[in-house]
This record gives sequence, structure tokens and C-alpha cells, in this order.
Amino acid sequence: MRMQLDHRLLDRQIVDADGLLVGRVDDVEFALDADGVPYLAALLTGRVALGQRIGGWTGRLLVAVAERFSGRRPASPLRIPYPLVARVDSTVRLRVRLDRLPTSPAEEFLRRHLIDRIPGADRASG
Amino acid sequence: MRKLLAATLGILSAVGGFVDIGDLVAASQAGARFGLGHAWVLLVGVVAICLYAEMAGRIAAVSGRAVFDLVRERLGPRVALLNLVASYLVTVLTLAAELGGVALVLHLASGLPYLLWVPVAAVAVWLVLWRMRFQLMERVFGLAGLTLVVFAVALTRLPTDWGTLARDALTPGPSASGWGVYWFIAVALFASTVSPYEVFFFSSGGVEERWTATDLADARTSVLVGFPIGGFLALSLIATAAVVYHPTGASLTTLDEVARPVVLAFGAAGLVVAVLAFFAVTFGAALETGLSAAYAVAQYFGWQWGKRVSPREAARFHSVLLLSVLLGVLVLMTTVDPVTLTEYMLIVSAVVLPMTYLPILIVANDRTYLGGQVNGRLTNLLGALVLVVIVVASVAAIPLAVVTRMGQ
Repeated sequence: MRMQLDHRLLDRQIVDADGLLVGRVDDVEFALDADGVPYLAALLTGRVALGQRIGGWTGRLLVAVAERFSGRRPASPLRIPYPLVARVDSTVRLRVRLDRLPTSPAEEFLRRHLIDRIPGADRASG
Repeated sequence: MRKLLAATLGILSAVGGFVDIGDLVAASQAGARFGLGHAWVLLVGVVAICLYAEMAGRIAAVSGRAVFDLVRERLGPRVALLNLVASYLVTVLTLAAELGGVALVLHLASGLPYLLWVPVAAVAVWLVLWRMRFQLMERVFGLAGLTLVVFAVALTRLPTDWGTLARDALTPGPSASGWGVYWFIAVALFASTVSPYEVFFFSSGGVEERWTATDLADARTSVLVGFPIGGFLALSLIATAAVVYHPTGASLTTLDEVARPVVLAFGAAGLVVAVLAFFAVTFGAALETGLSAAYAVAQYFGWQWGKRVSPREAARFHSVLLLSVLLGVLVLMTTVDPVTLTEYMLIVSAVVLPMTYLPILIVANDRTYLGGQVNGRLTNLLGALVLVVIVVASVAAIPLAVVTRMGQ
């Protein structure tokens, strides 16, 4: 499949098999096959990937915030292997559901320490 | 009635933009100083927001993408981050002003100190954001905002000289205050009708309501009914102030002065309706700005957002929402005047407008998002013209603010 990466893939919304929002294509990872030809190996998402792509002091700030939440240094970006992608249109749709993917440390942290402590956190208001 | 219910998203979006706490005072001031001399600005503003809200609504319905998605996808991470920081700042400070507005209304109604009401207003707004179903919220506050029509009705009871009003509207001029101030108010008024948070809110609201391509007609109704109603309400505020204050050249700065034309027309009953209307529009604007701030952040980063999922499934979104309301309260605790705050925010928002509207116009022509529903030639022509006006307003905003010392 041929695709113009910077217009069709980078910065697009990643959506799971049920339509839940996973993150953005903050960066992509290439690998070399047996013949030395590069191919698109994975989508990278999360603030670490974004910060590294933006660079400069804003990029470093984003990475630092992400490291705070994950408690790991250096924090690594969340990887979604490219074969999990079902199709690409105005969004990048995955074959799998959100719970099969690594969760964002910040989402986990805020859920556990803030949102779950407020009554009514588990009911959608619609 | 069904049409009206379908339009409540547009009405609430428009009310938060056109007749929130800042505009209640700013529109009335414009009327007091220049009569109906700024009516044409409202007209241009309503046409502009209708065009772009229609595009944003169409994109939301067909592709499920809201406006800040487009900003990130079209401007790239760096420029979009700049827009995010500016838009978040403007929107949260406007949220602060609206919370202050709710508190001012409660102060006006109860006589209890204003600062006492600030936390009460914040908790009430947050509870609605946390628990109330999106569509119910949109209907309750969209329809309640329509009580502001009491200002239009008041015109029939006041000694309104329709001839003078019409003449002022058709031959706008600076009267005694000078061209600088006239244009400063024009830019502020235009910026208020096309505030970025209106399109953030409107398009995200469409996604919240699960619009699909079959809802395009409802989306269009919402735009073409909702925003003109907002414009009409703002115009009636200018007109009543023009009738009551313009002849004497008096200036006005407080909410009870804004309400005076209605009191003159209907007495105490008028005051009650005006206070209810002020409450509805400031509260509605607080909901709109609070949600818009969190929508923009979540969409930039690609987080799960919205009221369709439970808060624990959108923990980052709800954390930003909570943080924004708390920031709003902190800002107000510095005892800054909410009305002054919105005046400054309008100028900042005028400067950053193009960064929000350009991506909408680009994506409205992109078939990967819209398939066969891309813009026609006429829409593109008008959209480009509006964009020119937006860029001119954006460039002129700060010089005018400096030269006129914020319209003094």
C-alpha cells in the first residue's frame, strides 16, 4: 500500500474496533526487512512520541510530564504494531479493542487517584 | 417545535458567543455610544459564523471529527499546540468571566456578596458538566436563553423612534467618540460572534449527539436557526440601550444598568425576567466554554472525550474539565472584574481566529473526510471572503486596542 505519510497518517486520530478513541498518530516507526528495505513497523502514540517529534523545550516539557505520570525514565512511547491497523480513512481504525492495547499511564493515574473517587464516575451521562 | 428542538445546539452555541456576560455589557455599551451603528457588524458576524459552523457541523456529521481534530491534522503538532495554548487560555479566562457573570446575577437577585456566589456558581456548573445528559443540557439552557427576547419585546413599550434606529443602522458613523473607538468596538463585537469556542462546542456537540450523514438537515437547521437567533438577541440588546442611553450619551458598566430598559418597560416583573435571562445565558456560556476548553485539549492529544462515555473512561478529559473550572474560580478570587476580563479575551481571541478557521475551510474541501459532501463553489467563495475579514480583524485587533486604550 502506498500512502503519503505526513498528510494521510501522521496526526490522525487512532480509533479502536468499537470506535473508542485510542490516541493520535504522534509518530511512526520504521524497520528494515530481510532485504534491507524499510517498512512501516508501528504507530507511536502518547506525549513521549509527540514530545520527541516536536523537539525543543516544548517537546522536552511534554516528555517530562509524561515521565512524571509513568514513573519511568526514560519513558518509552506507546507502540501499536502496524498489522493491527484495519484501515485508514479520516481516522486510523484498529482491528483490536482498546483493552488489548497498552493503556496510557496518565489516564490510569488520573482515573485511579482522581476521577474514580468522585461519585458517579462509572456512569455515562449520555 | 421539532425544528426548534433540533436547533437548540445552535442556539446554545450562539448564546455563549453573542450574549454572554461580556457581550451583555459590551453590546449595551455599543448601543449607548453609537446607537445601532454596529448592527452591520453583527450581520457580517452572523453570516461568518453560520458559514463556518455549517462546514464544521457537516464535517462532524460525515466524518465524526470535531474542529480541534482538524486543527491538529491540518496545522501539524507545533502550530496546533500554539493554537491550543492560546485557545485554552482564552476559553478558560472566558469561563472564569462567565462564572463571575453567574455570581453577579445571583448577587443582583439576592443582594448577598458577589464573591460568596462564585464557588456556588462553579460547583453548580461543574455538577451539570459531570452528570447532565448532553442533549438535555443543550435543550434546557438553549431554550432558557431565549428569555432574553424580553429586550426585543421591551422595544415596543419604550418610546422607540424606529426611524432614528434605522438611520443609525444604515449610516454607521463614529458620532462623538471617534473612528478608533468605533472600529475597536466593531472588532470586539465581530470577535465575539465568531469566538473559536463556538465552533469547538458546536462540532463536538454534533459528535456527542452521534450525528451521521443522515442528520445533515438537522445540523443545517441548527446553524441557520440557532446563530441568527443569537444575533437577533444581541441586536435587541444594542437597540434597547440605544433607545434608553444613546440620547443622553450616558455610559453604562454594570448588569443592573443593562437591565434598566426592561425595567422601564415592564417594571419589577421585567427585572425578574431579565435576571432569569441573564442567569440562563451566563450559565449556558459557562457550560459551553468549560466543555470547549476540555474538548480542545482532548482532541489535540487524541484522548477519549465527551459525555457519551463514563467519566472513568475519559479520565484525562474530565480531569481537564475539573481543572478548568478550578482555574476559573482562582482567577475570580483575584477580584478581577468579569466584564473587563471578557473585553481583553475578545481581543486575544480576534488575534488567533485564523488558526481555527483556516483548517475548517481546508478540510471542508477534502474528500477523504467528506466524500461527496465537500464545499460547493459559492460556499468556498463566501468562506474565503469571510477568512479575509477574519485576518483583517486579527491584524487590526491589537493596534486598535493600544491606540484607543481598550476603547476608552
